[in-house]
Amino acid sequence: MVDVDLSQPPFSLLDEDGRKRVSGSLDLVYFDLGEIILDAGQPGESVFLIHKGEVAELDVSRSGELERIGHYTAGDLFGAISILRGQSRYRFRAEQESLCYLLPKSEFLALCDDYPAFAECFRRNLAHKTRLLAAQRASGGSLMAGAMLARSRECMRRPHHLTKAATITEAVATLDARRVDSLLVDGENGVGMVTKTDLLNALVLEKWPQDAPVRSIANFSLITVRPDQYLFEALVAMTRHRVERVVVMEDDVPVGVVELTDALSHFSSRSHVVSLQVEQADDLASLSAASRLMPDLVRGLMAQGAKPRFVMGLLSALNGRIIGKTWDFLVDERYHGATCLMVMGSEGRGEQILKTDQDNGLILEENLAWPEREACMRAFSDALLELGYPPCPGDIMVSNPQWVGGETQWRERIDTWARRCDADSLMNLAILLDARAMAGNPALLARLRESLFERCAGDEILLSHFARPVLRFSTPLTLFGSLKKPQHGIDIKKGGIFPVVHGVRVMALERNITVTSTLERLDALVADGRLEARFAEDLGEALSLFTELRLKQQLERLDGKEGEPDRVVVQELSSLERDLLREALHIVKDFKQRLSHRYHLEYG
Amino acid sequence: MFKALRRAADRRRHADGRYGWLFQPYTGDEMVAVACRATEPDSGHGEPVAIAAVRLQGDRVLTSESLDLHVRRPEGLTAESVRRHGLRGVDLDEGEALGVALEQLLDFVGNRPLVGWHLEDELAMLNRGLRPRFGFDLPNAAIDVAHLFQRRQRYRHPQLEGRPRFEEAAERLDVPMMGRHSALGDAVTTALMYLRLARDDAARRRSS
Repeated sequence: MVDVDLSQPPFSLLDEDGRKRVSGSLDLVYFDLGEIILDAGQPGESVFLIHKGEVAELDVSRSGELERIGHYTAGDLFGAISILRGQSRYRFRAEQESLCYLLPKSEFLALCDDYPAFAECFRRNLAHKTRLLAAQRASGGSLMAGAMLARSRECMRRPHHLTKAATITEAVATLDARRVDSLLVDGENGVGMVTKTDLLNALVLEKWPQDAPVRSIANFSLITVRPDQYLFEALVAMTRHRVERVVVMEDDVPVGVVELTDALSHFSSRSHVVSLQVEQADDLASLSAASRLMPDLVRGLMAQGAKPRFVMGLLSALNGRIIGKTWDFLVDERYHGATCLMVMGSEGRGEQILKTDQDNGLILEENLAWPEREACMRAFSDALLELGYPPCPGDIMVSNPQWVGGETQWRERIDTWARRCDADSLMNLAILLDARAMAGNPALLARLRESLFERCAGDEILLSHFARPVLRFSTPLTLFGSLKKPQHGIDIKKGGIFPVVHGVRVMALERNITVTSTLERLDALVADGRLEARFAEDLGEALSLFTELRLKQQLERLDGKEGEPDRVVVQELSSLERDLLREALHIVKDFKQRLSHRYHLEYG
Repeated sequence: MFKALRRAADRRRHADGRYGWLFQPYTGDEMVAVACRATEPDSGHGEPVAIAAVRLQGDRVLTSESLDLHVRRPEGLTAESVRRHGLRGVDLDEGEALGVALEQLLDFVGNRPLVGWHLEDELAMLNRGLRPRFGFDLPNAAIDVAHLFQRRQRYRHPQLEGRPRFEEAAERLDVPMMGRHSALGDAVTTALMYLRLARDDAARRRSS
């Protein structure tokens, strides 16, 4: 009997019959305030499903603040792990008078036997659970979700090869016969590509003879994806590199070509429309019109179930193009080779979703004479403001001379920051560590970062100071669930995102890892042997989860809802989301402990 | 007084019959919460359309062991009671005949003490069906939750009077209404209310 919602995971993994078995064997029990429901070391006799009330999960081997490790409220489930492990690891205590449904051990184990998917649910790690959530959303979501999860392999065309000796005439004939837009050409060092446009330019503009070998006009620096990468990533690559096709490579052998038009018809989404508008914009006004479409684009993609990781990738590519274009409009071409515009902070990591503050700086070649520089930089910052990028509250912008300088000047700055080690200096270092070249000559930034790593990577004392802010905000596990007002929600930026991003940044600095995105840094740290793959995967998932929750809040703000964007109100989440958030925060806590051990943060 | 005599007579008559064991004193630790839905509630001559019972043990409500019976369309089914209970004649066609339903109830309840909301009325209705068919009234010990609740309310708020309403009592006791508009839901809610009151009682006794 009884009213109990079995439509949420894990019960949604049962069929009608299984759910009937569950509801037929549930009992109801009252627990008094402070009553211990299940003690550490006790064998688990039932699975508890809270109907009403709140239950705290306590680690009895610790005391004080550290004791509480979890908090469960109405709709949550606990005790299953205790049954599977034979005994409970933690103590569960009623924080309020609580009414729980009890599913007896025998029935639970029988269900686990009969429904493997149900049993899996209790053994999986966070990454698996997230996938479960994604699948659940996809099934309830729009038709687009299927397209978003398509792999490159599902949308590629068979490639057409030409031999080394093929001539331009042969190439044109093949294009015509096969009705394709591009061909692959074998060359001295691997495969190249030739497109209709290449042929047209070669014949008409550059007056190549028709019997010239086609490989002499082919392009050999190919943009490639792997067949198992999401189609979405192929689209990101096309946007980023401004090309209309990417080659699908498997073990260095081209197995297919993804054409822009094919990918678009697969998506029929607005992402490329926006990027086309950005490309075609020839003044600031049209650029600004294109940039206003971005929030809608994000909303659309998220509703379709795209992973935040890919949305971030696409948007960071688009933002990059917008900033780059603005730069091209405003800065005289003479200076392009001798300067490097870098974006920093979340934009530098490629992790912002909606438009963030302007965090940017400028590196100049030594002895560059540029009299009107300051006026030009002010105009640049103003133009970005027009485009909807608010100014940086810390004034980290090219309009501030502090963030403009020659190479030597920058090196001196780094040295001073590293020596001073005060809060501002450390923040500046952190900001610079995430810098990515956006326009001008990227070699300038690469050289600067090299000297940054050289100066800091081996400096244990600096690293220890640098890592300390990770511990600044406590992980908000204790407040879970008991707060009712939106303004009291969990600060997901301080409690979740910051420790992960900064911790990973510190490790990347130590290990000389030059990529800037947190997820790429994690991959590099795994390759380096610094982190085990499973833990890195969990950290990445945790970060994605935080990002997604935060993005949802930001979108709601855009829709005019009140409140702070970084606060997540636990009561508004579904029980699975709550479960995920809880686990993600546990991972953050674990990570903080490792960092604290590695960089000796226990003292001081 | 009359009831006690009647029960003594019933016991003597049935001591060796099929239901003799119902008259034995109960020694276990279970109780049974019962709730009925009637054709004409509160009128004193309605017939049950649904009978539900759930066992209680210690601080548990054994919802996994419950009885939920629909009684076949009785004579007295009116449009009014249909509206009230959301049960239509067709729903009841599937149900048991009253005699069969009562037999199942007797087997389920046994000689355990009974718990109910205004239990007197419910028992009176059940007994009206039982006596002509089995020749006795339910002999079980009975605990009226409405009575317990009223006593508690009087103790805490002596100025209040009047018959408490079921929903109101549940709210005051902070007990969620389970599956409202079903007899089984009422039985479970009643059982939870009883556990709540019993706990309060125990706590008060400990502290005094």
